[in-house]
Amino acid sequence: MANPAKGYRMTDMLTYPEVTHWAVPFFIAAILAELLWIVIKGRGGRYETRDALTSLLMGAGNVTSTILLGFVAYSFFMALWAITPLDLGTSTWVVALCFVLDDLRYYWVHRFGHRIRWVWASHVNHHSSQHYNLTTALRQTWTGTFTFMMIVRAPLILLGFHPAMVLFCGGLNLIYQFWIHTEAIGKLPRWFEAVMNTPSHHRVHHGRNPRYLDANYAGVFIVWDRMFGTFVPELDSEKVDYGLVHNLGTFNPIRVAFHEWIGIFRDITRPDLTWRERLMYALAPPGWSHDGSRDTSERIKRKHLAQHPEDSGTPGFDPRP
Amino acid sequence: MPLSILLPMVVIGIAGLVLLLHLLGLSHPATLTGDADARAAWAREFPDDTATRVILSHDHHAALIETARGTGIVWHMGADTTARYLAGAHITRTARGLRIDLPDYTAPHINLTLDADEADKWPTLLKDTA
Repeated sequence: MANPAKGYRMTDMLTYPEVTHWAVPFFIAAILAELLWIVIKGRGGRYETRDALTSLLMGAGNVTSTILLGFVAYSFFMALWAITPLDLGTSTWVVALCFVLDDLRYYWVHRFGHRIRWVWASHVNHHSSQHYNLTTALRQTWTGTFTFMMIVRAPLILLGFHPAMVLFCGGLNLIYQFWIHTEAIGKLPRWFEAVMNTPSHHRVHHGRNPRYLDANYAGVFIVWDRMFGTFVPELDSEKVDYGLVHNLGTFNPIRVAFHEWIGIFRDITRPDLTWRERLMYALAPPGWSHDGSRDTSERIKRKHLAQHPEDSGTPGFDPRP
Repeated sequence: MPLSILLPMVVIGIAGLVLLLHLLGLSHPATLTGDADARAAWAREFPDDTATRVILSHDHHAALIETARGTGIVWHMGADTTARYLAGAHITRTARGLRIDLPDYTAPHINLTLDADEADKWPTLLKDTA
């Protein structure tokens, strides 16, 4: 708690290791291992040179943007830390609790990332590969700062979790998510699949099949999706088709990183739109359009059910009214 | 981690992995095995717009697609494919075939390897949309 005599708290200067940076050698070794497994066994996923290069460059760009822009979020968090009277300390239990609550934070940020175009503009690049291997995990955003999603972490800081601890837990969360980006691992024991995010669950999340759209937002614990009604299991009867609803026609990392931002800009600056329509182009779910000429995930699912009514009420599809 | 370690590790790691992938033969472009494959690749991007005519390139790496909405193209994106309509396209003859420039930030250029007959014929097929 606060030390009124000195006017600061014991944890004010707290630091943790940059775990995502220290994990880079592990990332490289794991990609090498997955690649050799696929080549030797002839199964367990696919690799392609230019796709992998783009993913790796997106990862390098993400590290660069974090180094350059990380101060924005950290300054915001330290400002919150300065005003909160709470300090939960640094015990192992507090770190564990912080990890779980930050994973809940991740679930909602990730859900916003698929349901709000402004946030999707940052996240879309992660889904832009038609492959699903460990390099896909590194295909990360360069523009996360501009989504302002750091606000969702504010309650954690105000509750007394130190910003350095919150960011440390966030780093561990991202490292956990690395290994689930693979087709080399099938389904894991039932108890593990019930609680944890797994390769199977996350394959669904990367699917462009109508059934798999907007599902499995979890970072570490899949229980959040089960709690909030967004869980869809991977079905043996429906292989996941990876990528975007409209796949990119470029491997250029600059275009991958910024294409949806460009799209938003072009849409909101169209002539003859109302201010509400301009706002909707930025904040409505991806695929929203003022004239209904594009498809949202809901409309894609409705179209699918119109052609395949037998799928109504099966995982990923609500029962038809 | 100090940048003096992180930076070389990232650069060497990326270069090494990419070189390995290429040496393992994983740089081959996707091949469309036939008209049905090209139709399926088109339907994957535009499921509402049925392909009424398909013209495969001789190397099977691209196909012109006709639909009720206009002319489009399917082409390889590494080991996979993507597709676009060709409205607003600018077409240029190149030494290896054609270059198509699209008013699309997500697919700005398509370089097609075509034989001489295809390179002569395809622009005429596209002129209504270009």
